[in-house]
Parts: sequence; structure tokens; C-alpha cells
Amino acid sequence: MGDKFEIVIVGGGTAGWMCAAACAAKLDPARFRVRLVESEEIGTVGVGEATLPQMKDFNDFLGLDEAEFMQATQATFKLGIEFINWGRQGDRYVHPFGTFGRPIGEADFFSYWIRAHRAGTAASLSDYCFPIVAALQNRFMLPSGDANDVRNAFAYAYQFDAFLYARYLRQWAEARGIERVEGRIVEVEQDGGTGDIAAVKLASGARIAGDLFVDCSGFRGLLMAQTLGVGIEDWSHWLPCDSAAAVPSARSADFHPYTRSTRRTAGWQWRIPLQHRTGNGYVYSGADISDDEAAATLLANLDGEAMAEPRVLRFKACKREKAWAHNCIAMGLASGFLEPLESTSIYLVQMAIMHMLTLLPSGPGIDPALPAELNRVMDVEYDRIRDFLILHYIANEPDAPLWERVTTMAVPDTLADKIDRFRHRGHVQAYRDGLFGPPSWQAVFVGQGIEPQAADRLADVLPAATVEERLASLAATIADAAATAPSHADFIARYCPAPAP
Amino acid sequence: MTNSVQRVVVHGGGVAAAMAALAVSRAYARLGTDVVWVDTGEAFAPHAALIAPPDLSTFHRLLGIDEATLVRHAAATINMGQQFAGWSGGDDAFLHAYGDAGSAFASLPFVQHWTRARAAGLGVALEDFCLAAAAAKQGRTGAPREAATRQAVKAGWHLDAAGYARLLRAACEQADIRIVPGAGAVPHRGGAGLDRIDLADGEQLAADLFIDTDGTLIAALDPGTAARPAFCDRIIRASAPAFDPLPLYSRVAAHPAGWLTMIPLANRTAIEFAYDSASLADADAPAALASALGRAVDAAPPAPLAAAARPRPWVGNVVAVGPAAGAAPPLDGAELLLLQLGIAQLVLLWPIDRAAMPEADIYNEEMAGTRARVADFTAQHFRLNARTGELYWDAARAAPVSAELAAKIDLFAARGMFAHYNHEAHVEDSWALVMAGHGVTPRSFDPQALLTEDQALMAEFQRQLRAVASDVHAMESHADALRRMRG
Repeated sequence: MGDKFEIVIVGGGTAGWMCAAACAAKLDPARFRVRLVESEEIGTVGVGEATLPQMKDFNDFLGLDEAEFMQATQATFKLGIEFINWGRQGDRYVHPFGTFGRPIGEADFFSYWIRAHRAGTAASLSDYCFPIVAALQNRFMLPSGDANDVRNAFAYAYQFDAFLYARYLRQWAEARGIERVEGRIVEVEQDGGTGDIAAVKLASGARIAGDLFVDCSGFRGLLMAQTLGVGIEDWSHWLPCDSAAAVPSARSADFHPYTRSTRRTAGWQWRIPLQHRTGNGYVYSGADISDDEAAATLLANLDGEAMAEPRVLRFKACKREKAWAHNCIAMGLASGFLEPLESTSIYLVQMAIMHMLTLLPSGPGIDPALPAELNRVMDVEYDRIRDFLILHYIANEPDAPLWERVTTMAVPDTLADKIDRFRHRGHVQAYRDGLFGPPSWQAVFVGQGIEPQAADRLADVLPAATVEERLASLAATIADAAATAPSHADFIARYCPAPAP
Repeated sequence: MTNSVQRVVVHGGGVAAAMAALAVSRAYARLGTDVVWVDTGEAFAPHAALIAPPDLSTFHRLLGIDEATLVRHAAATINMGQQFAGWSGGDDAFLHAYGDAGSAFASLPFVQHWTRARAAGLGVALEDFCLAAAAAKQGRTGAPREAATRQAVKAGWHLDAAGYARLLRAACEQADIRIVPGAGAVPHRGGAGLDRIDLADGEQLAADLFIDTDGTLIAALDPGTAARPAFCDRIIRASAPAFDPLPLYSRVAAHPAGWLTMIPLANRTAIEFAYDSASLADADAPAALASALGRAVDAAPPAPLAAAARPRPWVGNVVAVGPAAGAAPPLDGAELLLLQLGIAQLVLLWPIDRAAMPEADIYNEEMAGTRARVADFTAQHFRLNARTGELYWDAARAAPVSAELAAKIDLFAARGMFAHYNHEAHVEDSWALVMAGHGVTPRSFDPQALLTEDQALMAEFQRQLRAVASDVHAMESHADALRRMRG
């Protein structure tokens, strides 16, 4: 026992149990001992959670059975996010988990679309995207597996109850040797010389020592912030929403395979359909609306009966200055917060876990190159998501005080250039690591009303009539293909029906 | 497109100008773009040869240059990698081959398993698990049918520079590009850029966009070049008889005052002796070269080796590519790699509007990043050299490197992993083969590798070595490949 490398995970929410499950799946128990300390007294923030397609990779990485996982977490499928009233009141667009179109000539599809769109011969960008067309008809199918089929050009994610997911992973991880320690932490012990965390002490008097600590304690950052004093980079001047009111409602007949975000006076409202109910929330700027008014707005805009009183959450858009300091790695809310507008919370946890596993020290004494790399890649992830979220805010009608402020604020230079370049010629830089890929930027730019003034010149090589004909035929193929997919409700009922709670 | 770029002038000589003119013409002549090449007739360095990295093979398809043409007119041989000899002090050599560094296994890169096995005493080098390296060393090339390894094997070329320039010029003529002789052209400013150049014979050539490989045009708009550390400041080019059989890789041998590159061509061996004039006087250099080769060779006099690059290759309506954009690092096929990337990026970012070209900022960002990462790749050889006690090499090892390269070396040394930045031009496995070749064995490995039992790992290693051997056996000889290509 004494030779093993000891990992102590502090906090048993979604982040904690995801980390514990990954350790159970990928670390040799003869060499690593992994314990998770949590207290039943501290509730987890368990609102309906929407995710990105990488979530499926994570479950596959663990080896979870998809149908079983979906049944256990009341999960539904997700093909993208619908944005309502973003840009202008009455507008709607979908940011899909898939690409637009298919190759036509030497230029990329989007360039042909720009050209035809400017000539007035293109349909809406959405019509060239299978997951959007299927989603808006409440249909779902798994990718067909045939590379030539438009029904294969997408990925999917899940919408689920994060509390149930944590519970499911807990049972899964405990069955694979992860030790759960029940107790409230009352003291964190640091090494007098190095400042490293030596142990956490529980109210019971127990002392849990470790070589590496994972801080999954949530917003407060018990180890990272309160003990090691690692500060945050405050991004609230760009992303001013600081509160959310959340409430579940009864499942409605409109059973979407997508998440919805509706822009409102002081923020935006989410709608996340699960099997047993619908998760709803109003993310708002406390400077622009009172809690009571926000809760009332939320309750007035549900499509099913509210099943509880709205619960209020507080946060601040930020990133922890370091995700790994001393012998402690922060993940989840302890490592920063970005509002759930693009469903990135679980993705960020997942990235932190994957990088932690590959960079895990092999014994006492941490090679400084390891934390340096984890901090570098997590910074890249956070910064890219930040810019993408800000993009949603800046391109809107200034129809309320919040929207007047955010549409005239100074944005990060990295984003200002992106917008100019997209407007000029539809240019989106593709990068290998991190979110988001070109189709995501294209969807949101165009959806928010930022349209390119020109396309790549290579798109001008084909005759206009040919481009028009190819676009029309593609839209027809996608419409026909979507009609072959079953309804989302039927698919779930057959594939992964969850028991009533 | 009423405001589109319609008239393009390419200004310069040699390989760079011909390649730029051809690429632009093939992409945009269809849209009515007129390309004129003002050939400055720059004299070729005698004996010059080029190392084309695998990326160039793809680019040749876009240019419409086929294998047969290269073999017939540029004395081309196949380039599967570069061998580095003596960089760690002794006679040790390793091959940077263009292919996978072993086959991924149990969802982890092969390097992780190799690191674990090295720590347990394995003596086999990383490159022995690399099919491209094994094949190149045994004189075999091409793709085996029903490969046992499924490893990527990529190949570029070794080219005679003068022959290559001639065949590109012939391709320009075939594409109906107007070529006018024009040394000493005078740029004429207009607005934020140039509106025309005046040729010595009195002809005035107006254009919407100027592509400058010579450097005169861009210098009229932007004086600035940024110097970077030169690894050597002199070069002697020479020729020796061709090898028989022809190797599939060039050889870069460290020398007390620099290095010696031998590039196998079909009709000769091109030699580049790069040295530092502080360590070796020009007067002594020819003798040093002869001594290193063991005999006298037909050599040109020492020439300077430049090391400056432009931070902004695109200014106004002038885009500098090739030599005008800056000197390429003198190793790793960087000259053709940067030239090709510079031209390809310009084709991609072809300006929409001749009156205003905000594309310049994107281009400059992309190329600065690419150039920095390509320079890092070359800088690693010097940083990691283990020739201690020699002034030149001790200084090369101590020379400052970029923060990105420092992070890459630190992370590979710590964990066998690769810190990936934007604009990388070399793949991860190339970095791994080179760093491991220079003697960096990672200190630790991904703990997920421990899920594989020791015995299963040994069995997998043996399986991979057998698969490499059987794939090599199924490949063709260099001579057969060249004969087939010649047609």
C-alpha cells in the first residue's frame, strides 16, 4: 500500500465522479490508490445539463454502455442548440453538431453558400445541414455509418440530469475500486517547506493524505483558492451575467433533440428536455433584473408545469489563473466558470481529466513540464470558449440596457480580428486543439447576423448555374433523408427508456 | 467581381518565382487573372540542390508536375528522410524518416510504450519501430500491398536546383504565362502599395498584385527584416560522383565548425558545407571540406549564408515569398517547405478586392507563425547536440531558443509528449524521431501505459518489429522505383 501513488479527489459532484471514474478505468490499481472525499451534507448543483459530442467520447473512453447510461440519467439526444431572439427579436438559428453541406469543388462548401446567398439563389444555411433539419422536426437517428450519406455528417451529444450522472458514475467507480470517504473537510494541511497539500482533515478527525489532490469542490475552490491562494482572471466585464434561476418543469409534448436558448431582457433562458422532465433556467445579469423578477419571468415562460420553486445560483465568468498549482489540479467550477450558453461545462471537466491522466506524475516530485503543459492547454480551451461566448453577446439588437452595454463594449483583440475577417470574406481560422471548429463559427456568425461580404475566389470557378443546381439538390437530399429518421420520442422509447423517477 | 485582382506581376528568378507564377496562374487564370513573370534572371549557385519534404509532392499535383518530369529533368531521387550523423559527438547516426514512429497501441502513442520499455532496459531505438526509417535504411521505398504495419510512409524528393527551375519555367511557358526578362526593374509607388514597375527597356508594368521573390519590390514598401540567430554564416557548395546504389535519404554530418549535407541526386552527389567563419577561416574551408570527405571535390568558393526574415511579408499589394520573405533555416528541407507554404497560403487568401487587402494581416500572422515553428524544428538539432568541448557546438547548445521550443523539449524530455501550437509544419512523430534520435529519452510516461502487462507489451514489440521487416521486404528498391517513374 505504501508504495502506491495516492490521489485524493475532493468533492463528489459531476466533476469529482467523472475524474474518479476515469481513474478507475485507466489507472493500474496496483500502482495508484484513488480516494474521493465528499459529504452528503453539501448538495451538488444538479440542474439539467446539456453537453457537447465529446461527452460520448468520454463515455466510450470509460467503456460505458450508452443505453444503460441514458436510462440511468434520464438522458435525451442533442443535435445542437437553437438560439431564439439572438441577433434580432424573432430570429432563430441552430448551432449544429455537424458540418454544412458537402464538397462541391475546390473551395469549401461555405464559400459556395456565401456566393449563392449573395446572389439570392441560396436557401437558408440551415437547409444544408442534416442535423439541423432533422432536429427542427424533432427527429433523431444515430449516424448511418456510410461516409457518402448526409445522415452520417453529424455528431450528437446528450442532455441529462447531472446529479444522476454523478450517482451513476459513483456506483460504477466504486465497483472498480475507487474508495469513497464520507466526511466534511474541516482543515487542509500543507507541507511546511513546499507549500504542497499534505492532507485533508475531516470533521470525524480522520486525516486523508495524498501525493496529488484534485480540487472538485466547486465555486469555492477549497484547495486551489482557499488553501493555495490561486486567483482568478475575471472575465465578467465581457460576460456580465452573474446569476441563474433554475426550475424543472413537466415534460412537454415538444420533445426536442436539442437545447434551446432564448434571449431575454437581462440575459437568456435555457430549455433542456430530459426524459422525465424539462430543465429550465434564466441566466441573468443581477444589475439588470431582480431575483424575484427573474424567477417570475422564468415561471411565465415554461411550456410545462413548474415542478419546484426556482433555485438561484450565483457565479462570475472567470478562469482560475492556473489549473494545476503545487500538487493540486482544479477541475469543474473550482477551475473557472463560463455560463452554459454553449454547454461547455462538462467538456472542460473532461479535458482537464484527459490531460491529467496523460500528465500524471509517476511518483513524488512533480516534473515542472507536466503542470506547465496542462496549464497551457487548459488556457487555450478556456480562452477559445470565452471568445465564442462573447460573440453571442456582441451581435444583437441593443433592445435593453444589458444589450446596449454588451453590443458596444470593447472585445478581446483575438475576437475583434475574427469578426472583421469573417465579415470580409467568411474567413475562419481552423485550429487543431480546442473548441470550436469552423462550422460552429459559421453557424453563429451567420445566425447572429454577421454575414460575409465575399467568398473565397476559388468558389467563383464553377458556373453560377452549377453551384445553384448543386445546392438545390443537396437541400433536397437532406430534406428527404431527414424524413427517414424516426421521431426523437420514439427513438428514445425504443433505445433507452428510463424508468419514471 | 468588378474590383477583383486581374493583373498580377511575379518579380524574381529561379525556383521561387516560377513556382509562384505557375501556382497563381493554375488557380486563377480561369477567373481571367493575367500573370506576367518578370524574370530577374538570378544566377544559380553552382552545384545547388534542393531537399523537398513530402508536403511538396501534394503541391506538385496542384502545379501539374508529375514524377516522370522530376526524374527526367531534375535528376530527382526519392527522399524518405534525413540522416543526422555525429551530432551527439561519436559516430552515432539516426534517421529522421517521414513516417510514423511506431504504431499506436492500446489507445496510446507508441512513444509512451517505448519510453516505458526503455526504462525497463529495452535497447531498441525508436526509429527501429518506424517503417519509413527501416525501409529507407534498407534501400526500399513505396507502399507495400497489404501492409502489416499500416504505418504512414511519406516521401519527398532530392532535386537538382537548376534542373528543377528549368522544368518549372517550361511549365510556366506551357501555361501561357508571359515571361519578360527584367533585371533592375524599378518599383513605382502608388497609394499604400505599388502601382507599377518600370523595366530597363522602358516597358511599364502595372498590376493589382505584385509577388516578389527577389526582394526589391517589398523593400520599397517595408525596409524591415528581423535577424535571427544564424547557425552558420558560410556555405560551400560542391559535387561528388553519384552514390551507387542511391540512398533514399540525405546525410547531415556534424563537423567541428558546422555541418556537411550530402544530397543524393541521380547524376551526382550534391554537397553543402555550412560552417561558422569564426571557427573556420574561408581560406581553410576548402581543405577542411576535402579532409571531411576524404578527397578533393569540385567546389564553388565560400558564399555567405543569410539568416534574416521579414516580419511582414505582405505589405500593401506586394507579397514577398521565397528568398524575399526571408532566409529559410539551412536544414530539414525548410527552404522548399516555407516557399511552398507561402505560395499555398497566398492562393488560399487570394485578395477579394484589389483596392484594399486586409488579407495581408491574416497572411502575415500565418506565415510568421509557420516560419517560427519551422525555425524551431531546425533549432532543436543545435539545442540538443551533444558535442561537448567544441566551441562552435557548445555555443550552439547554449544559444537561446523560443519559449515554444523550450516547452516542446521540456515536455518531450519529461513525458514523451508533444506540445502542439498553431502553425505546426512538422508532425508529432517527426519531432519524436528527431528528439529521440538526438538522445532524449523521456524521463516518464503516460501511466495509462501500465494497463498493458509486461509480457503483452514485449509480444507487441516483437509483432511490430516483424511487421516492419515484412513490409520492408514487400517494398521496391529505389532503382526500381525511379525506373518505374521515369516511364
